Amino acid sequence: MVVLMKLLTVTLLGYALLAAQGDGGRKPDRVISIAAERFAFNPSKITLKQGDLVEFVLTSDDTDHGFRIPSAGIDLAIPPQSRGEARVRFIAKEKGEFAFECSRPCGAGHNLMRGIIEVK
Amino acid sequence: MKLLDPSFTPPAGQILAQRVQELEAKLDALLASRGAASPLAATPDSTAPTSTPPSQASGPAAASPPLQAVSITGDFQTAPDTETRLPVTGYMDFHVNKDSGDAFRPDFHRFVLLFGHSFSSRIKFWSELEVEHALVEGGEESGEIAIEQAYLDFLITPKFNLRAGMLLTPVGIVNERHEPPSFNGVERPFVESVIIPTTWRELGLGLTGDLGRGFRYRTYLTSALDASRFNAESGIAEGKSSGFDANMRNPATVARLEFAGVRRLTLGASLYSGLAGSQTPTVNPRVTIANVDGRYSFRRFDVRALYAHTWISRAGELNRLMRQQTGVNPNVASRMRGYYVEPAVHLLPRRLRHDLIAFSRYERYNTQQKMPDGFLPLAQFNRSSWVTGLTYKPVPDVAVKFDYVFNQNQSAVLRALNGINLGIGWWF
Ligand SMILES: [Cu+2]
Repeated sequence: MVVLMKLLTVTLLGYALLAAQGDGGRKPDRVISIAAERFAFNPSKITLKQGDLVEFVLTSDDTDHGFRIPSAGIDLAIPPQSRGEARVRFIAKEKGEFAFECSRPCGAGHNLMRGIIEVK
Repeated sequence: MKLLDPSFTPPAGQILAQRVQELEAKLDALLASRGAASPLAATPDSTAPTSTPPSQASGPAAASPPLQAVSITGDFQTAPDTETRLPVTGYMDFHVNKDSGDAFRPDFHRFVLLFGHSFSSRIKFWSELEVEHALVEGGEESGEIAIEQAYLDFLITPKFNLRAGMLLTPVGIVNERHEPPSFNGVERPFVESVIIPTTWRELGLGLTGDLGRGFRYRTYLTSALDASRFNAESGIAEGKSSGFDANMRNPATVARLEFAGVRRLTLGASLYSGLAGSQTPTVNPRVTIANVDGRYSFRRFDVRALYAHTWISRAGELNRLMRQQTGVNPNVASRMRGYYVEPAVHLLPRRLRHDLIAFSRYERYNTQQKMPDGFLPLAQFNRSSWVTGLTYKPVPDVAVKFDYVFNQNQSAVLRALNGINLGIGWWF
């Protein structure tokens, strides 16, 4: 058990450090609020400049939704309404269109709870 | 990232200890290379400059995905130990209803399990399996097991996706958004069960998409309604096929456009048109439904409203045919109409995290709005209701509901019964 906890701590520290190396404490170029509600993200299309360090502030207007950006290997749970917010930072390294989607089944329209990140 | 993945299982025993040592060594090296810099520099307000351009970051990040993850902070869920997540989701709904002069009737109204599967990032499956009225006391209603929806989505572009299977007809607010915590009142609104059938599902296929700027649409070809089950009291509601013995020879067309481009505002409009004569071969009435609805929240206030209008062609011939076949005149109207307005207020301050909503819904609905020549409207089906009550949500996915229903109709003879409803519904 102790070994497990040690592993967890070290991994977390290591991850935090790598993360810190990634943005080096740089202030995000864009901070964008995205609200999740059955069965859509609002806004659902986000346009970024290549090289931008972006922070998404994610909140839900109902249940807990998931937030996955496959192209960034990001997958997290957005807390339900009035239970706070999740913040995710990434760097838009390459131009292109990248999908994000709800990764937690939330009802009849879940499959289409998606959006697009366009990097210009 | 694997920390976020519940399926990640760390190796056991000695391998583990070995990995810890390796990681410690790597961490030491990294810390040394960064001097005294804090490993927690990823805090949102940090403005410390960096000497390493992000694009040249070393380590696993240099594997270079097109979008490079930097940090995840806030109230996201990392570890599964705060809550148990089942591999299936679903919702349940337990009601106790009482009409004036009647006994309390407990009813496990709905027990719904939802299953989804992604065959690939572009082909996805969704289904709801429903057990209705598992327990009924003092009533004659029988239970039912039904597939509420089961369809495949083929994702092509954001604007254009294909959907096929058993679909919820996209009319009104509640038919597609029916999870118990997502609406006030124990029972679904009368207008959305009498003027618009509920849960209205049909076999079909169609297109869905996000048009941008907050506009979304769904448009389907679906199996038709069955006019032989239309009646005076519940209009077309009993005519839904629910995918059973569905008729696709004359598919109906339905389209819905929604605007959700302003935060906390959703506006919707639906149009349905289809022939309903599969069981009444000599009379093939056309059913047309137009509906507009909206939901808006401002500070601690919510309001939702809906208007629906139904036209049925050849209703007179349908009534005469049914009277001939069954001996009973169903007295189907050629026009029906209903609307409701529901203001609500959140009574508790936001910081308490518990939510207590007081609401009052006024509904007006008439399944005998305009009769075909030779038929008279039955005034008891020109109805209105006040539904007033409370919704208490200890957490956002659990709703304890109470309401009082004050029913009225235009009949001088038949009095409408009032009712009390208690319910608990949850989503998991
Ligand atoms: Cu979702």
